[in-house]
Amino acid sequence: MVEAELWAFIAVSSVAYMTPILLVTIGEIIAERSGVVNIGVEGILLASAFAAVAAAFFSGSAALGVASGALAGALIGALFGLFAVYLRADQIIAGLAINLSSYGFTVLGLIALWGHHGASPRVEAELPYFSLGQGSVPLLSLLALLIAAVAWLLLFRTRAGLALRACGEEPSAAYAMGVNVRLYRMAAVVLGGALAGLGGSFLALELAGSFTRGMSAGMGFIALANVAFSGWNPLPAILGAYVFGFLSAAADALQQEVGYAYLLKTLPYLGTLAAAALLGRRSIRPPQRLGVPF
Amino acid sequence: MAPLVFMKEIRKVYPEGTVALRGASFELLEGEVHALLGENGAGKTTLMKILYGELRPTSGEIYFRGERVSFRSPQEAMRRGIAMVHQSFALVPTFTVLENLYLAISSVRKVSQGEVRSRAAELGKELGIEVPLNARVEQLPAGMRQRAEILKALLLEAKVIILDEPTSLLTPFEAEALIALIRRLRAKGVSFVYVTHKLREVKEVADRVTVLRKGLNVGTLQARETSEAEMAKLMVGAAVERAKRRPPREVGEVVLEVEGLVARDEMGVERLRGVSFSVRAGEIVGIAGVQGSGQRELAEAIAGLRRPERGSIRVRGVEIAGKPPREARRLGVLYVPELREEGLALEMNIVENSILARQRGHARGPLVDWGSAEERARGLVERFKVVFGSLWDRAAALSGGNQQRLMVGRELSSRGALLIAHEPTQGLDVTSAEMVREEILRLRDEGMAVLLISSDLDEVLELSDRVIVLFEGRSVGELRGEEASIEKVGRLMGGAA
Repeated sequence: MVEAELWAFIAVSSVAYMTPILLVTIGEIIAERSGVVNIGVEGILLASAFAAVAAAFFSGSAALGVASGALAGALIGALFGLFAVYLRADQIIAGLAINLSSYGFTVLGLIALWGHHGASPRVEAELPYFSLGQGSVPLLSLLALLIAAVAWLLLFRTRAGLALRACGEEPSAAYAMGVNVRLYRMAAVVLGGALAGLGGSFLALELAGSFTRGMSAGMGFIALANVAFSGWNPLPAILGAYVFGFLSAAADALQQEVGYAYLLKTLPYLGTLAAAALLGRRSIRPPQRLGVPF
Repeated sequence: MAPLVFMKEIRKVYPEGTVALRGASFELLEGEVHALLGENGAGKTTLMKILYGELRPTSGEIYFRGERVSFRSPQEAMRRGIAMVHQSFALVPTFTVLENLYLAISSVRKVSQGEVRSRAAELGKELGIEVPLNARVEQLPAGMRQRAEILKALLLEAKVIILDEPTSLLTPFEAEALIALIRRLRAKGVSFVYVTHKLREVKEVADRVTVLRKGLNVGTLQARETSEAEMAKLMVGAAVERAKRRPPREVGEVVLEVEGLVARDEMGVERLRGVSFSVRAGEIVGIAGVQGSGQRELAEAIAGLRRPERGSIRVRGVEIAGKPPREARRLGVLYVPELREEGLALEMNIVENSILARQRGHARGPLVDWGSAEERARGLVERFKVVFGSLWDRAAALSGGNQQRLMVGRELSSRGALLIAHEPTQGLDVTSAEMVREEILRLRDEGMAVLLISSDLDEVLELSDRVIVLFEGRSVGELRGEEASIEKVGRLMGGAA
């Protein structure tokens, strides 16, 4: 039965499509648990996608591309942290600055490296994957699931996680108990940036195979919605990311069969937002001092 | 024997220029409970924050067991065995007690959560400090949170525990239990600094008392040998007359009628569970109760800031439950909220704040009549003794007490039929608090209906013609002013029938 095969294919490839969202979400959960909201993840996703493509293009190594993307994410996270944590800047404005400048710099980079302002050439470097039923799952996607589990352990089962969450709940109490609040927040933001960078690398090298201008296309913001949907918990975040991945995969697969390609592309966004809005549990509270500089 | 702690001629000037301490000295002996007494703004908390390493002195010396020390952070003080229990507790509210204890102790030494649990249970049992280790802090009553803090200090092997206004959030019963606990711990060799402005407590708990006034110590006395009057005189610098309840001149018609009021807080918790009462013109009805018994929800519902689930609120016969605040204002409701940031626009200047919600009286067509607004502001600050730089300064630049006087003054100098005063004297020194109480009595005598909500039980008892006690969102008792005593009301506040 063709129908069933198609849906099985979509179900498996959703795992790949969900990966960038999942990684960004986990990173943002860690940052927000420490009390810092970084809406700059959209820009980090974009800039790290660019860094990954550039590194893979010139070195021919996909691994180096992924590493560069993650490193770029961490560095931008550190820059954000410098302003938002140590200089106590408004977190939303600092994040906005990251988003706007990432867009600008990546377009400049496209022109500088390849003399083109729309897209980079295709990168042939391939990421490892293994097959599963009707499709195949990239190794990095499995790693992302593992990272979700590790992040959960880190946040809810370790002393460092306890201290990190204390920074987001009541930083002055955490400080009084001997926690270096700013250091924890900085570390959380850098880690969050690195994970978003990993997501950006995957988006460019695995899903697209090249860099196109503005290719993050709001996925960072969807991840922010997913953070709230998950109740600031990495495990439910997998579900939220899967909804997005599934709808993305379905939209891609179906657009060959039906004609409304552009309309279909909006499906993952609308669907994820609807899920986040309708299923988000109201009893879950965000970290109490989220967004408040310390 | 050298004193355990000796603070010598401590001066503290805050960066913005406020002089909090002008050479205050303080001495704590091993195994004593030493009260530090003073009005708000006398510098008590500042002095203790310096001892605890939270603030650094501008000048002065601190000796611990005869050795000169200089703490740069609370951690350093804690390592020496000095702990401080703050007025607002330094616990993470969304964590369990155990998680808080573990976090605090593990940042000083390597320890597992299991070890903290067994040590806490053991110590709690030995000293009679029962705290549910697995309960989230925010779900615990204030007395319990405070015990958790004391337990934390003891687990950190504190030799000196500084208690900052420890009874301000407690019921009379919890306060009694605290005092008993302090005595037990003192017998085990723990020394206490007991920071307070309540004279009665000093007599009850302290061995010695040091009185601070305007940043200077003005005397150290044996608590047993002194009297409340003597301490009050030292504290204020002159004898103060407490406002005395006086019978209302003439009680008129019902102004406020509340029936079966049910309301939830922000978290969706039902805080008011069917409260009914009325307030007549020319009488003061006081609401007593432990904080969090529904006082805030009650005040906000009447002011129109909170939509009740059920029940009715009638002001002069008009139903206003669930109506916007404008409706309440129109019917003559004056409202002093619990939080200054709700009663003042802190980023706006004093003149603007003086005419908040009264703009209509200071308008010329669509324009604000700044001349008359300034005139009103000038009258206000003079009458209520607000100390300020310029009338055009932001309200945020005023000290807490001055903000309170400005906010209370604006409401108390307005015309209306019903005054809701929620913690009207919080953060005020004794003299200003008396002035505010006197103004409230005057308004009542002029025929206003007053609903007084206060955690200062003395204040409620002094002013109220009737006292209603709230417990867990229900009215558990109504007493006439003259029959309401601390003991009776205290028992009701604790939930006893």
